[in-house]
This record gives sequence, C-alpha cells and structure tokens, in this order.
Amino acid sequence: MDDQAGRDEFDSPAEVDAVFRTQRRIAIGYFVVFVGGMLLIPLATLASEWWEGRLSDWATGFVVAGAGLYVFFFVLGLGAASLANGVEQRMLGTPTDDADDPVR
Amino acid sequence: MNVAAAALIVVLATLTIVALLLAVGPRRASSIDFYLAGQRIGVVTNALAICGDYFSAASFLGVAAAVYVSGLDGVWYAAGFAAGFVPVLLFVAAPLRRFGQFSLPDFLGRRLESERVRLAAVCVVQVITLSYLVPQAVASGITWRLMVGSGVLGLDAYATGVVLATTTIAGLVAFGGMRGTTWAQAVQFVFLMAVLVWLAAAVLSDGFDYTRAVADLSQEPLRNPVAVDGDVRLETQDSALRPGTPARFDQPGARYSLTGQITLLITLMLGTAGLPHVMNRYFTSPTGREARRTTVWVLAAAGIFYTLAVMLGTAARSMIAALPATPSWLTALTVEGVLRIPEHALLALGRIIAGDAGLTIIAVAALVAVISTMAGLLLAAAASWGHDVYAFVVNRRATQHQVVLAGRLAVVGTAAVAAAVALRLDPTSLSALFPSAVATMVTWAFAVAGSALTPVIVLTIWWRGMTAAGAVAGMAVGGVIAIVAFLVALLEPDWTLAGLLLTPTPVAAPCAVVAAVRVSRRTAPPGRVTQLWARLHGTAADRHAERIARLTLRGVQAEDAA
Repeated sequence: MDDQAGRDEFDSPAEVDAVFRTQRRIAIGYFVVFVGGMLLIPLATLASEWWEGRLSDWATGFVVAGAGLYVFFFVLGLGAASLANGVEQRMLGTPTDDADDPVR
Repeated sequence: MNVAAAALIVVLATLTIVALLLAVGPRRASSIDFYLAGQRIGVVTNALAICGDYFSAASFLGVAAAVYVSGLDGVWYAAGFAAGFVPVLLFVAAPLRRFGQFSLPDFLGRRLESERVRLAAVCVVQVITLSYLVPQAVASGITWRLMVGSGVLGLDAYATGVVLATTTIAGLVAFGGMRGTTWAQAVQFVFLMAVLVWLAAAVLSDGFDYTRAVADLSQEPLRNPVAVDGDVRLETQDSALRPGTPARFDQPGARYSLTGQITLLITLMLGTAGLPHVMNRYFTSPTGREARRTTVWVLAAAGIFYTLAVMLGTAARSMIAALPATPSWLTALTVEGVLRIPEHALLALGRIIAGDAGLTIIAVAALVAVISTMAGLLLAAAASWGHDVYAFVVNRRATQHQVVLAGRLAVVGTAAVAAAVALRLDPTSLSALFPSAVATMVTWAFAVAGSALTPVIVLTIWWRGMTAAGAVAGMAVGGVIAIVAFLVALLEPDWTLAGLLLTPTPVAAPCAVVAAVRVSRRTAPPGRVTQLWARLHGTAADRHAERIARLTLRGVQAEDAA
C-alpha cells in the first residue's frame, strides 16, 4: 500500500520533520496535562480539607474519581485527536491534492 | 440441563454463527483479510471491538467488586483502565497504524529492520498473552461450574466450561479471522454495555439513590469479612493513608497508601499501549487519522462503562446490606450483610433485582466478556506465531494460504495450551483465590506490557536514534525487572514492599528507557531512517487510502444514479 501511495502522494522529508516536531510538542503538552490531572487526585489526598469536602451531598473525591475523570479523559482525547489531525491536514499534502476529485 | 446452561450455550452458538457468517471464506482469505480484516474496519465498529477486547470479566465483575470492597480506592482500577487509552491516542495510535502491519513484533521488526527485535518482541507478547489467556480460561470454567454445576461427555463442570469456551472461541477465531472476530467482539461489547445499562436502570427504578447511598455508606467505618481462626467475621479496615483511623467508603485509603495509588495508576496507564491484543486492532483501521478517532470513541465508551460499574458496585454494597430479610440463597454468601467474595456483587445484585433470570443475564455477560477477550488474545497469538515466526523465520517463501493456515494452527495450539494449563490448575483451591488470581495475573500482564513493550514502542516511534540492539536491551531490562519484582511479591507477600512490587512499572519502565537509550547510543540506527520516518509520521499513505475511498464512493454513486 505504501509503495502504491508513493506514486501519487508524497511527503517531503522537510515536511515530515516539521510535522513530527509539531506533533511531538502536542503529544508531550497534552501528556503533561493528562499526568498532572491523574496524579493530582492521589496527591489531593494530602490536601484532605479539600478532598474530604463536599460538592452538594457528594464527597469531592468520589465525584472526581467516579465520573469527572472520564469526562477529563474524553475532552483531552478529543482535543488532542482534533489538533493532531488538523496539523497533519494543514502541514502535509499539497492544496491541489483534491482538485481533480469533486467528491469531498 | 437448566435454564442457565441453555442460555450460555445459546449465546456461544449465536456468537459462533455470527462470526462464521461474517467470516472470509477460508480458501479465499488472504493474510491481510485474515489478520487485518482487509484494513477496512470503520471507526465505531473498531472502537466497539477494542472495547470488547479490552473489557474482560475483570473489568465487568472486578471493578464493581473493587468498589464494593474498598469504596473510593476501588475506583482507581476503573480510572487506570480508562486512562490507558490517552497515552495510546497521544503517542501510538496513528504512527503504529501507518507503519505497522499485523502485530507489534512486526511493527518493531520493520521499523528497526531487525529479525532479532521481532523474535524478542514475540517472546514478550507470548508472556503477556498467556498471562491474560489462562485466567480467562479458568474464569470460564468457574463460571460454568457456578451457573450450571454439571458437565457433559464425562467431563466435570469446571472442565466442561474450560473446554467449551476455548473450543468455541478457537473455532470462531480460526474460521472468522479478524473480520469475524471484530464483528463478534463489537456485538459482545454492545451486549455487555446493554446489561450494565439495564442493571443500572433497574436499581434506580427500584429506588436506589446514588448520592444518599454513598453518604450513608460513608457514615460508618468500612468493614469487610476477614478469616480469623477458621471463622469469618466483619472487621473494621484501617486507613492506609492515616494509620490508626478507620477507612471510609467515600475517602481514599481503604486499600492503598499514597505511593500504592500512584504506582497502580502508572502501571495501568502505561500498560495498555503494550497490550498486543488491543494494539493489533489499530492495524485494522483504514488510516492513522481513523485510528485516532477510534481511540476517542473508546474513551467515551470506557467512561460510560466504568461510571456504571462504579455506581453498581456502590448499589450492591448499599442494597444487599439494606435487605429487610436476607434470602436463603444470600445467607451462605454473606457475613452480616456483606458479601464474602466481592466479585459476587453484580451477580447478587442481578438476582435481587430480577431473580434467577437476572442472575443468568449477569453470568452470561461475564462469560461473554471472557470470550471476547479470549478472541482478541488468540488473534494476537495467531499473528505473532503465524506471521512473525512462521512467515519470517520458518518459511520465508510462504504463500498467503500457508501464512493464514499457520495462523489458524497457532490459534488452535494456543487455545489448547491455555485450556491444558487451566485444566491442570486446581479449581477448588482457585475458588478461594478467584478472582484474586485472575486480577493478579492480569495486573502482571499490564506490568510486563508497560515495562517491556510500551517504552520501546514509544521510543521507536518518537526517537530517530533508536536501534535494534537498544530495543532488545529495553525489552529485556523492563521485562526482567517486572517479572522478578512480581515473583518476589508473590513469594514474600508479607514484605513491606510486596504491594508495590505487584505494580513495578514506575521503576521498570524508566530502567527500560535508560537501557534502550544507552545501548542505542552505542549502536547504529537503520540506514533508511528518513524513509522510515516518512512512513511513520507522514500521511501520504493515509491520503492515498482516503482518495481511493472517495473514488470508490463516486463510482457507487454514479452506478446508483444510472
């Protein structure tokens, strides 16, 4: 498949390198946020006043760990996937790629 | 034969028929079709299949059980299992799909242009696969024995369950290949989710108030059954975070110290990216971009799944204790209103809500979770033996037919080994350990994957300087540290650090990275690294695939218009 692809699609080494560096920044940036969010919860146990406080009738920690984290993961994943795909779309492939292809 | 047995057999038969109907004809199957479903699996279908692969009985019964027995500390398992897909999305999904074919060993072997790396990765993959597969086979035998209680063809109940499950799933995978297995797993996950949604809706309509239940359960210190001098009684649990104070349901510390929480989370977070049966599914996506989108759907499904599992674990703790009169079937399972074996939480809840039918539905769902995971594991084994060993080492001139046949034989062989090991294990003694033994082995699989494979995969994708020797060193160091730590923890369970040694990834993974980097710096990377980089991080192949898909769609639309 890749060989075939090479006949009508091509990425120059400079383009690939630029995308690679951008994607690496995005991945590391999001990963730092992700790890921070994950480890914040066990570390929050040290700040017991906040952790053992209550949101309405709920213990803060239970709400965050039992439901809030999954929203965090999903939003983080959606943001990262959209940004990474968008970067590739903008930085790779020529604008005329689809000029002969009216079906978009 | 009772209703439960009939239900289990109907489910197994249905899944097999679905897979066979969707399967590629055995004589016409190419290796791309058999191992990768032609690389034409859609985003949602693939996401559901990944969930079917990933959410084993440990997730279905185990997370609810962990919440049941330790409250908030049980939620860390759910959080860690779900979190594992974020690093997959950020670092692995798209490049792995663009470069890899067939399996993780194949990806590493091609990227580093080394058969030594391929074989080293096959060894690690087999350790992970069997660590997962054997407990799943054991679980199927125990489930059959609990639900049906009798065997067929002269086998006892446990052996019948093991043989029936492994034979059925081996047949499904051998004939159905990736295409049949994908659809079977997607259907299985939808069924599993439907069961959780049904149970959640049933408990809520029965008057369960989630907020009040958590508050009520947290009023008193957490008490769980403990065996003392042959007698089982409830004892108040001490908080691991604040020694001398009792643990509470909605507060951390019922099970883990701060270090224990962090090491567990890191082990589960990093393990997913190295699980062969899960990562192999990414090769079936049409493009790298689709692989990313697939992971977003997985994160959404995982969030719903685990949110419900946590709620149902809480519901079981609350509702079983609140029963006005303990029914006779529950008396033997509980001590003062608390289940002796927490893994019975969902089963007991199902029976309280809907009687024997409810119990059967939950048990069937648990068996379906086992089978779905086994299917993925057998496919991973087939890919590594059939493709990486047979086609690259044993017979380099193998035809497509021979490679597919080798894969099918590998499925049968791996299933036979798993069944043989499961049959040799003493189910009576395992009953006492189960699912602790299962959870322990699954954790080991995560630890080995996160320690030996994930660091090497990430470095291979993101560092140009990675070499074959570095990859082998990384896998060896990470794998050995993880296995040794685990064995020490099992042999010395009373040692202070035993708990931490069961989750060794935070130590083993950095060691693997250091070993891989140091060795790589002293050896030469592949000569064609620029071309390899273009395949990993470029999108030419993706654009080509998308263009072909658009042109195909155009042709279909033109035909329809005519």
